[in-house]
Amino acid sequence: MTKKYAVRNIRLCTKDCLCLYVCPTGATDTENSIIDMEKCIGCGDCADACPSGAISMVPFEYPPQQPKTESVVSGLNALLRSKSQQENIAAGLSGKLAKAIEKSNRIMAEDIIREAGYMLPQSQNTKNFLQSLLDQNPEGLPRETVEKLLKALYGSEEDKPKSENKTLDNLMEAFAGESQANRKYLAYARKAEKEGKLNAAKLFRATSDAETLHALMQFEAAGKIGSTAENLKDGIAGETYEYKEMYPPFVKEAEAAGNKAALRAFTFAMKAEEVHARLYKEALENLDQTEEVFYYLCPVCGNIEKFVPDKCSICGVPGEKFIKY
Amino acid sequence: MAKYRCSVCGFVYDEADGIPEAGIAAGTKWEDLPDDWACPLCGAEKAEFEKQGESDSVPEGKRKPVIDTSVDMQELSPLELSALCTNLARGCEKQYKPEEAALFNELADYFKSVSAPAKDPNFSQLLDLIEKDLGQGFSNAKAVASDAGDRGALRALTWSEKVTRVLKSLLSRYEKQGDAMLENTGVYVCTICGFIYIGDKLPEVCPVCKVPNWKFEKVEGR
Repeated sequence: MTKKYAVRNIRLCTKDCLCLYVCPTGATDTENSIIDMEKCIGCGDCADACPSGAISMVPFEYPPQQPKTESVVSGLNALLRSKSQQENIAAGLSGKLAKAIEKSNRIMAEDIIREAGYMLPQSQNTKNFLQSLLDQNPEGLPRETVEKLLKALYGSEEDKPKSENKTLDNLMEAFAGESQANRKYLAYARKAEKEGKLNAAKLFRATSDAETLHALMQFEAAGKIGSTAENLKDGIAGETYEYKEMYPPFVKEAEAAGNKAALRAFTFAMKAEEVHARLYKEALENLDQTEEVFYYLCPVCGNIEKFVPDKCSICGVPGEKFIKY
Repeated sequence: MAKYRCSVCGFVYDEADGIPEAGIAAGTKWEDLPDDWACPLCGAEKAEFEKQGESDSVPEGKRKPVIDTSVDMQELSPLELSALCTNLARGCEKQYKPEEAALFNELADYFKSVSAPAKDPNFSQLLDLIEKDLGQGFSNAKAVASDAGDRGALRALTWSEKVTRVLKSLLSRYEKQGDAMLENTGVYVCTICGFIYIGDKLPEVCPVCKVPNWKFEKVEGR
């Protein structure tokens, strides 16, 4: 999933302040009008609520630069050359018109080179360009500026040796695999129990638990477990992404394909994840509460309530089936 | 009575209507408009207008698929590198990264400072380059971009070709009228596409890229 954070365009903000009302963490309520990135959980509620469209959700990581064919780049570069020459000529002429022409050519040159493969400051092209400046070291180059840029734009990868990154990738890949194996063996164990193959069922359950151990160890080694407040934020972000962005198209596609089992699984999950996100938010707000809270899980759809309902609001199962936590 | 459409911004001159508020009576024939008449919206010359109903394939006909202008990417001039850096600074601004934007602007200033000034600059050199762009540069680049299905490049080329044609119109007006053309009037540049507007009643949106006019910047004299 793409992790995002909210930013406010102060020029567009009309101070309706709806963002303050809807933000679950108070990230939008700051004296300098800049949304607090530390507090923002990326839920997007502020951007949805803002009547002046002043808040955008910006991804932490941008996609790679779109590829450009050589012939297009060379056609664009020929024009870039001409526009830069015109900028230079206009810069040497006096009068308002010349000044406007100088500016105009700079703007066209910027747009042209942007489309010639330099759209994103985070892209490999830009990184290579900055690196080549350091290598070629033309006279008077403000090296420190280039180094600061390399650090600011690509710092997180640069800081770590490559091997550590690779291991981190491996840990997360293993975590995903072990987690899936754990659920898969549990499903197999239930099937074996139904078929009366009890020994096989036992082995599947034991192996399923073993994969859990592996997954937990790997996740911890990857350094992905934060404080409980951080973990709740991560949970909110994950569940919110699932119910807002991931499941809605899944539901539509299952419907279109006429796959009723998938439609049921996706719909239950989508509705339940929304509840989970809400409960995580509540838990985050009341993290220091000492009074004990009980949660009741619907064993059919995964809905969670804080009381025993007459029947599940998502799948309609009777309340007595709920499991208390 | 015929209609003529501006190929830069789409403004339509209808002979039947004239433009009474600009002193052009209804029924004024296209041929009777003065030679230095320009599009009231974007300033393009009469030559940039096409008669409506007639074949609008003029730009196609002009297209010459000549590819002899390749430029080695490694060999960007300092001023081109400066434009690369201000472009990246804009990219950072859009992503709300003011510190990085400032750093790219510092780099852009460095490259501009080491760029050699033009030798004996004059307006006719500008017109020569513009003619070359319009005669060859844009048609080449558009042909390859369209072969490659590169919509981003086509978009940039469409905008800058229109702006280049407006610059051509402005320069040929300036040749005839001189500084009188700029007296007591504002000069503005669209900061998105580079369109230049001369006058005091800014269009609501840029005639070329359609951005709202608060993105225009007023040019002060030097």
